[in-house]
Amino acid sequence: MTTIDASHPVLAAPERRRPIGLLLVAIPVLLVIWLIIWPIISAVIQTVWIKTPDGGGAVSLETYRFFFSDSYSLSNLSITLWTTGVCAVLLLVVCLPIALYLRFSDSRVAAYVQGLAIFPMFVPSIILSFAFIRVLGPNGTVDLVLNAVGLPKIRSPYLTPWGPVIGLVWDNIPLTVLILLSGLGNVSNQAIEAARDVGAGRFALLWHIILPRISNSILVAISFAVLGIFSAFTLPYVLGPAAPEMMGPFMQRTFRELFEPQTAITQAVITFGFCILFGLFYVRSVARNQAP
Amino acid sequence: MTSAAIRRPIDWTGIIFAVVLTLVIVLPLVVVGTWAFTNVWRFPSVIPQEFGLRFWNQTLARADVWSSITMSLTLAMTVTLLSALICLPAAYAFARLDFPGRNILFFSFLAGHAFPKFGLLVAIAGIFLQLNLIGTFWGVVLIQLVGTLLFMIWIPVAAFQSVDRRMEEAARDVGASPMRVFWSITLPQAGPTIAAAVLLSFVGTFYETEGAWLIGAPQVRTLPVLMISFINNQPVIQYGAVLSVLLWVPSFIALLFARRVVNSGSFARGFGG
Repeated sequence: MTTIDASHPVLAAPERRRPIGLLLVAIPVLLVIWLIIWPIISAVIQTVWIKTPDGGGAVSLETYRFFFSDSYSLSNLSITLWTTGVCAVLLLVVCLPIALYLRFSDSRVAAYVQGLAIFPMFVPSIILSFAFIRVLGPNGTVDLVLNAVGLPKIRSPYLTPWGPVIGLVWDNIPLTVLILLSGLGNVSNQAIEAARDVGAGRFALLWHIILPRISNSILVAISFAVLGIFSAFTLPYVLGPAAPEMMGPFMQRTFRELFEPQTAITQAVITFGFCILFGLFYVRSVARNQAP
Repeated sequence: MTSAAIRRPIDWTGIIFAVVLTLVIVLPLVVVGTWAFTNVWRFPSVIPQEFGLRFWNQTLARADVWSSITMSLTLAMTVTLLSALICLPAAYAFARLDFPGRNILFFSFLAGHAFPKFGLLVAIAGIFLQLNLIGTFWGVVLIQLVGTLLFMIWIPVAAFQSVDRRMEEAARDVGASPMRVFWSITLPQAGPTIAAAVLLSFVGTFYETEGAWLIGAPQVRTLPVLMISFINNQPVIQYGAVLSVLLWVPSFIALLFARRVVNSGSFARGFGG
């Protein structure tokens, strides 16, 4: 089976020029405009254009001023930034060695390791949350084992900021490994062997030969992870503390429970602002891979 | 790959990775599976006191479980069907026809990926609020449909592009009609990849939790949403464990059929790798 494949120029050599194509693509394109592009524009407009009492409107940054002066909002933002940063670093620390090992090993163990690294992709995050609580939660499997060998119980990460961190890292391992592995495919064996011949050690090899060649893939992997983690909802909602909460659960609660859509949309625009560079970089990379 | 040695040393690095990953990735799922088939498991016993299927009967006797299974399947089927209906013709057009604005429209499907997803959902929910779509079945369908667009267009486009054009031309030369060529030559070649895209979008929709929760709750309760309430409010652990096993079935099917697509390098490239 083939999928999106850069070796096939995706949009090359069309047969004939036929405006009927526009008709065929109209519905999905209109859906994108109506349900992605318009909501974003409308969110920005809504949050800066405030209705005045006399029936008119005025540009006002009041909702943003409130967010950045409210200590609860700020602590939610900072726990989100902390979680995203810690997850990004942990993901690199965990996935880079796995990807390096998979790239340079052809043993039978490597196939098993690759299967395991990809496996979380086939485990929905809600099942992961449940498994996490049963293993690391109070009286979970880890406690059972520690108790059986006469050691004290752990301080469970469940309902602490480390809960979402562990869950989100677990969840993001497959795509991070795949993206890094795809980048490592660009490191030629000749380059490695040439460096070895002149006596480069393992770390020199990693630092001077491999890392410069996969720096773009590392950035793509981090951007993808940041976009997913910054506004993650399910894992922080189930595994994280009630307060401070990450932006995902915070927006959900503001929208559905406090019923303050305006405030929730302001929070959404703020998450856009914090992620915009990662988002643009990520989309540019994907588009470049697909370009003719 | 390193050059094959004649006497292969033991791959210690690999063994360490394999053991650690097994502990971290497989063990938690084994624990959930064990809980699902346990009648009694009290602290501090390391293994359950009594295995059995008692909680399968009790879980499957619950009305909320059945209604959310039905809801999830109906939603996922509706969304996948609609998505195939509007995306496949579009994919064919992108792959084979030329029309004004083709490139920019093709890349417009990336727009949603430049933003953190839940923030985008909140912005969409703001629009739905004005349209009274919050808490409705079709509101959830729309939000999940948008999530399938990129996948259901880009993968089939690649599939249509990789069809052998010479065979199509040969068929046309011997007098086959365009419909006949499409039905007998194009579709059989592009079919398996398109089927994988359809399967992945069904599975993706089945597990979509955030849109369903934000837009649909509490009226539209899918299986993952029910699972969240089991985790938060259900003291009987086995209900959640049995539901987890049930919930995993579509993913397991995807694992069997779509693994090759996921493992191919081109999949990672589709994510920008």
